[in-house]
Order: sequence, then structure tokens, then C-alpha cells
Amino acid sequence: MVENIVIGIGITAFAGALASVAGAAEDVESDIGSQGDPNSQVQLAPQMGYIHRIFNKAVSGEPPAYGLWVALGAGLAAAFLQVNVNPVLALALGCAIATLVQGIYATTAYLGRIASLAKFGQPVYIDILKSMTTVTMAHAFIAIFTSVTMCYLMNAALGHPFPLPLLGLVWGIALGAAGSATGNPYYGKERQYQNQKFGAGVPVAASGNIIRYAEAGERNSLDNGWFTAKLGGPASGICFGLIVFLELWRTVLFEPFWQGWGAIFVGLILILVFTFIDRYAEVWARETFGPFAKPEGAAK
Amino acid sequence: MTVKVEKIEGGTPHNTLMWAGLIASLVCIYLGAGLNLAFSAYTFSFFGGLAAVAAIVWGSNTIKTLCSYGIGTGVPSVGMISLGSGVIAMLIATRFNWWLAPIVLVIVAVIIGAIIGYMANDVIMMKIPVMRRSMTEVAVIGALMLMGFAQMATSTYSLVGLASTSSTLLGVTTSGFGGSFIGASIIAVAFILGAIAVQHPFNATLGPSWKQDRMLMLAAECGFLSMIPVAFMSIAYLSLPAVIVSIVVSLAGWYYTYNQYLCLSQRDAAAWLDAKPIREPEGH
Amino acid sequence: MTVTPKPTGGVGMNPVANALSILLLIAIVVATYILYYAASPLVFMALVAVIIGGVLVGFGVHFVPVGGAPAAMGQAPGIATGVAMLAAGSGLAGLFGGAFAINSNLGFFTSIVAGGIGGALMMAITCLFVTLIYTYGMGIPSASGKVKVDPITGDSQVEYKSQGTEGHGLPFSSFVGGVIGGFLGGLGGTLIYYELLMVYEAKLPALLSAASASAVAPVAISLAGIFAVGMFLVNAVLAAYNITGTTEGFHDPKFGRFPRAIIACLAASAVCGIVAILVAAL
Repeated sequence: MVENIVIGIGITAFAGALASVAGAAEDVESDIGSQGDPNSQVQLAPQMGYIHRIFNKAVSGEPPAYGLWVALGAGLAAAFLQVNVNPVLALALGCAIATLVQGIYATTAYLGRIASLAKFGQPVYIDILKSMTTVTMAHAFIAIFTSVTMCYLMNAALGHPFPLPLLGLVWGIALGAAGSATGNPYYGKERQYQNQKFGAGVPVAASGNIIRYAEAGERNSLDNGWFTAKLGGPASGICFGLIVFLELWRTVLFEPFWQGWGAIFVGLILILVFTFIDRYAEVWARETFGPFAKPEGAAK
Repeated sequence: MTVKVEKIEGGTPHNTLMWAGLIASLVCIYLGAGLNLAFSAYTFSFFGGLAAVAAIVWGSNTIKTLCSYGIGTGVPSVGMISLGSGVIAMLIATRFNWWLAPIVLVIVAVIIGAIIGYMANDVIMMKIPVMRRSMTEVAVIGALMLMGFAQMATSTYSLVGLASTSSTLLGVTTSGFGGSFIGASIIAVAFILGAIAVQHPFNATLGPSWKQDRMLMLAAECGFLSMIPVAFMSIAYLSLPAVIVSIVVSLAGWYYTYNQYLCLSQRDAAAWLDAKPIREPEGH
Repeated sequence: MTVTPKPTGGVGMNPVANALSILLLIAIVVATYILYYAASPLVFMALVAVIIGGVLVGFGVHFVPVGGAPAAMGQAPGIATGVAMLAAGSGLAGLFGGAFAINSNLGFFTSIVAGGIGGALMMAITCLFVTLIYTYGMGIPSASGKVKVDPITGDSQVEYKSQGTEGHGLPFSSFVGGVIGGFLGGLGGTLIYYELLMVYEAKLPALLSAASASAVAPVAISLAGIFAVGMFLVNAVLAAYNITGTTEGFHDPKFGRFPRAIIACLAASAVCGIVAILVAAL
């Protein structure tokens, strides 16, 4: 643990900032690539007769995928650090190789899924492959680099016992989970089904009818990217940033009190605070938006 | 709404792939260890990576067979359970010497996988005909992948070898534990590399026009792609010539399989268009 | 032949399978007791703790509200991620906090509770942001599809469900369920990690001919960590199979299936745990 509490807090703040950037980049990357649960709609659309030009990146869900990219970046960085490469260079090189692996996985996923939809006449659009892959790799590099740097700081500066790759695995999976939980509904409902009624879920009958013609011309994944970068991305960033920052903050600042129970009590208080905020938001929604139907005999 | 998944018709039967994968993987592990011992070198460590490729090719077909029945959760969870049960079998096998370890690995993995398969099928009552067999197979596959990657990164798969490193500085040999394959947690990278690589071929090619040869080629490509970062990470454990051999073999294998995969995708795709608009089907 | 995949998970329990699993569990525990208790009670305590940790993880997964692909479109309530990986994410974040506490030598009970709170905190923040996105970003109120009235707050749910959907968002009971699930996951994961770490720190120095336990510490930590991740994933996936991928939390009727998962996790954790311990104790 850090002897100097000021350095500890400084590192914590820095790690929180890095985590925020990582969360935002992760969510926008997964929306440009259409990864995770919303991708089921992109997969379904051709089967319902809706041909599209969206990048169908079906590389498992976000938590395991980001577990891999961040752990890979961290592992390569750790191996380079062991042969006495400069730390900054080691981190950058490791993340660059991890990003290349990510890009290759993205291309094979797109080709594989679209080729398997040949029965429904969905063509493989090579220009989508050429133009989207590099954009998704760029966002992925930002997410991977900030996450690996954050893990390096936790290991080297804050003295966490886990080695760098194991930290990368743990925080990669957490990054994917937080980013996908926050960003997926926004991408899936708001952007993919932008023409459905605002303020209601997508009815089952509309499944597969995603938007394929955009504000100007035919929609591709870059259009999805800039839209989700307005709310879904930053929200995921703040979510993951808060997770990392508060986890480190309560440990660094309060663990010396009461043999560790200070940190536990602060954690409990934080959970209660978030519970109250959640309840407030839920009640606010119910009162402001009102019900869809009368309480008796609701429409099904 | 779920995607329709078709049962396998034609193609290579699963049993053939299973025996071929298992035997090829074991042969590669023994070749790597034996040749390294015979020549007192590190250069044959890449055979471990080839063992992992064989296991991944076998594993992709196992996952396809299992998921044809609909398991309710996604495909990636099978990859996770494969490595989760495989890592335990692999680490107990590291306690045995080099010619006994792979046999122990297969036996322990079969036992663990069979028990987990029984739990999933009969206690949790998923009642899928191939569940028990598939869980057993994926446990063996996960363990073989890990042993292969460990061998490729460090040229050994014994616990002492994986947990300690020795470095020579000015003629004085010091041994340490912090930088070893297990000590630096490179095993965690091998773990998640294998978990994603084994489920990706089926996950990426599933759909109504699924073709087995395309999936198997993608499986080989995923295997070689996983070998590339492991080759880079072996820079911390192997001599420079061995690292270069590993990188060259991985890159060459990846380049070939990726090219073949592109050709097969072009063969199977409905159309291969460059910068063309959306083609609406008739009557829509 | 086309087979449309549908989860055929049956309801009810299979008494023969359950009995065999319990027998397997008892056999492993008794064998370990007979072989190891005299020589080193640590091994036996570790096995018992690992089994309990695995069961906590499996049980905790049943609380986490996951809606899967429909939730990403606002067609079903819950979080739009895979259940095993969401539980893994929160459990591992908890394990991170617990490992910090263990490293500061805070003792057994404090460390595992610290791990649990870490997991609960991550789930609380994640669930909060899901609600904020639904409310302020999409304008959709939360509604459950499985109950008429929220069991904790008493809010009526039916009229807040939009037409053609099974509910959306995160009703308050789902939020609480998520926090509980994160707590149990972090608790179980840290418990597994702590006990395996104790065993490895005791046994590895002799095995690796090391000077002291502190020299071997990175290996012990890494081994215990990777085993914790592996066992976490095995138990979480088994529990995910039990709920067939989606659940709203403890108020979902699927929650009643948890006894099957407990028995499966008991036996699976016993097998995996004894092999993990034997890596050092053989």
C-alpha cells in the first residue's frame, strides 16, 4: 500500500480518469462494430428481408472480448518489461499488438457471419470491411491502452499484489461488463430502432426491422458511432470511471481505519447513496412519464 | 427471436475430428518436448502452439455439435467453461514429468469434464443428448490448449519450469519467481486467448449457410493468430533464435489460413460487393 | 434437418442425479479429511472453504438481473449483457478489492467482506447507470414483466409496460437483486482466492525449493488468482445454464430453480477444488 497518501490519491484520480476514457472508447467501439446483444438484431435483419450495410462484428460478448484485448495488451507489456524495455514503450507496443489481434478478429467475424447469411441474399460489402475496421481498431486502441496503463499504475504505484496480466484480465472483463450494460440499450433501442416510438420499448413484431437508410444515404456503422458518442459512450465512461475510482478511493483513503472496516463502511454508504439515486430516478420516471395504460385492464 | 441453427449434414464426422485433434495435439506436445530435450535447445517450442491449433480445430466442431441443440445461453460461455475446467487439469498435470504429464492431463480433464457434463445435463436438467460428451471434450481441449501455449512460451510444462525463471548476468545465475510464466501471470493471457479462440470459429460462422470447411479453416486461423502474441511473449523466456522461429511459424501459418478463409468466404457469400448500395430483395 | 434451438431445460429436479452429486461431494470431503487432516488441517479447511465459495458464486448469479438480447431493445427488463460474464465482471472487481485487503494483512473475515462490498459496489454503479440511461436517455420507465407489483416498493408494474414488450429497464427489486448478486459473487470469489492462497503459500516453498514464502509470493498469488477466475467461471456458467440465460432477479419465478444450481455447484466446486489444492499438496 502507498505510504504517501497524497500520491495514493493522485494515482487514484489518474486511474479514474483513464478508466473514464476507457469506458467511453469501449462503448463507442462496440457500437461501431455492433458487438454484443444489439448485434442479434443486425444478425436477424437479413432473415426478415432487411438487407443492411452494418458491420456485424460477432466476436463473443463485450466482457470476454475486452478481457482478452486488455489481458493481451497487459501480458505483452509485462513480457516486454521483463526484457527491460522502457515502460511507456512496452505498454504502447503491447497495446498495439493487441489492437491488431482485435482488428483481425473483427474482420473474420464480419466475413463469417455475413457469408453464413448468403441464403437470404445479404451481400458482403468489402468497403464496409475496409472503412470500419480501422475506425473500430482506433477506438479499441484507446480503450486498451488506457486500461492497461490503469492496471500498470495499480500494480506499480499502488502496490496491488496481482501481476499486470491478471489485473488486465480482471479489469478487461469488468470494463466490458460495465460498458455493455450501460451502452447496449442506448445503441439497440435508440439508434437501431430510431423510427420506433420514443419512450417505449421495441415491440416484438418489429424485430429485425432496423434502420438501414440514414440521415443522408445508407446507414453504416460510423453513423451509429457518432450518435452513441453523444450519450451512450460518455455514460459508459463515467460508469466505469466511477467503478474504478470509488473502488480505489475507498481502499486507499479508508482502509487504515478500524483495520479495514473503514473502507467497508464507506463502501456500504456509497451503495446506499446509489440506491437512493436509483430510486429517485425510477420514481421520477414513473411520475413524469406516466403509465402507458390504465392500471385496470392494461393493453397487452 | 433466435437464429436458426442447422444440424451438421455431410462434412467430416465429429468422431474423426475428435481423434485427429486429440492425437495431433498430443503428438505435437511430445515432439516439442522431445526435440527440445534431444537438441538441448528452445527452438522446437512452437510445436506447443501447433498442438493448441489442433485442439482449437477439434473444439470448434465440438461447440458446433453442442450448440446445434440450443443451450439457452450464448456460445462464449462454452469457451469459458472449457478453459475454466481445463486450467485445473493442466496445472495438476504440471506436477508430473514430461512424458507422463500429457497423459495425466487428458485423464484428469476427462474426469473433470465428465463430472461437469453430468452436473449440467442431469442436475441442472438441460437434457441435451451430447451435453455430457461435449463438456468432457471441451475440458480436454481447454487443458491441451493451455499446455500447448505454456510450452510455446517457455519450452516446458512442468510446475518448476513454469514457476521459476533463471537469468544469467555476468556469469552469475540468479533464479526468480516473479517473472515466470505463472509468476507474471502470463498464464492468464493464455487462458483468455484460448477461451475466445475456441468459441470464435463457430460463433463467427453460425447462420443458415454455415459450412464446416469454412469454420474449420477459421479455427486454424484463430489458432495461428493466438500463437502470434504467445510468440512475442516468449521473448521473456526463450532465446532470440527460438523466438524468431516461433514468430515466423505463427505468421506464416496465420497468413496462409487467413488467405484461405477469405477465399472460402468469397465462395460462400451471396455477393461480394465493393461500395455498392443496399440490394433490396424482390417484393420488399 | 433443421433444428430450431430452444432451451429444453426442464423444471423440477432429478433425484437420482442429485443424490449421486451429494454422494460425490461427501466422498471427496471425507477422503480429504482422512488423508490430510492429521498432516495438515489447512488442506481440509481450504477444500471446505472453496466449496462454500463456489456455491456462493453460483447462488449469487441467480440474483443478477439479465435480460439478454431483448433487453438491448427495451423488450425485456434487466441488463443487456450475458449473465455469466456480468457476474464474472462484478465478482472479479470484488476479488480485486479483496486481494488488496488480503495483501494488507487485514484478516480473513475483513478481507472477504471487503471483496463482497467491492462486487456489490460495482453492480450498484452499473445498475444505477442502466436506470439513468433508460430514464433520462431513452425516456422509458422501468417495468417488470414477471410480477404485477414490485415486491420491495409495492409499485404497480403492469401499466408501465409498453405495448408488445415483456417489460424494460430495472425495477427496484432487480436493482437490489443485482447488488446482492454482486456481493455474493465477490464474497465467494475472494473466499476461494484466500483459501487457495493460504495453501499455496504453505506448500509451494518446499515444492519449488525457494528460500521463503515471500519469494514465492508472486507464483502463489497468480496461481490462486487464475484458479479463482477459473472456478468462478465454471460455477457462473453452470448457474447461467440453470436460469437459461435470462432472469429478472429474485422475484422472477426462475429463481425457484436455485436448489439445482446449489447441488451442481457443490459437486463441481468439490472436484475442481480438490484438484486445485492437490497441485500443491500432492
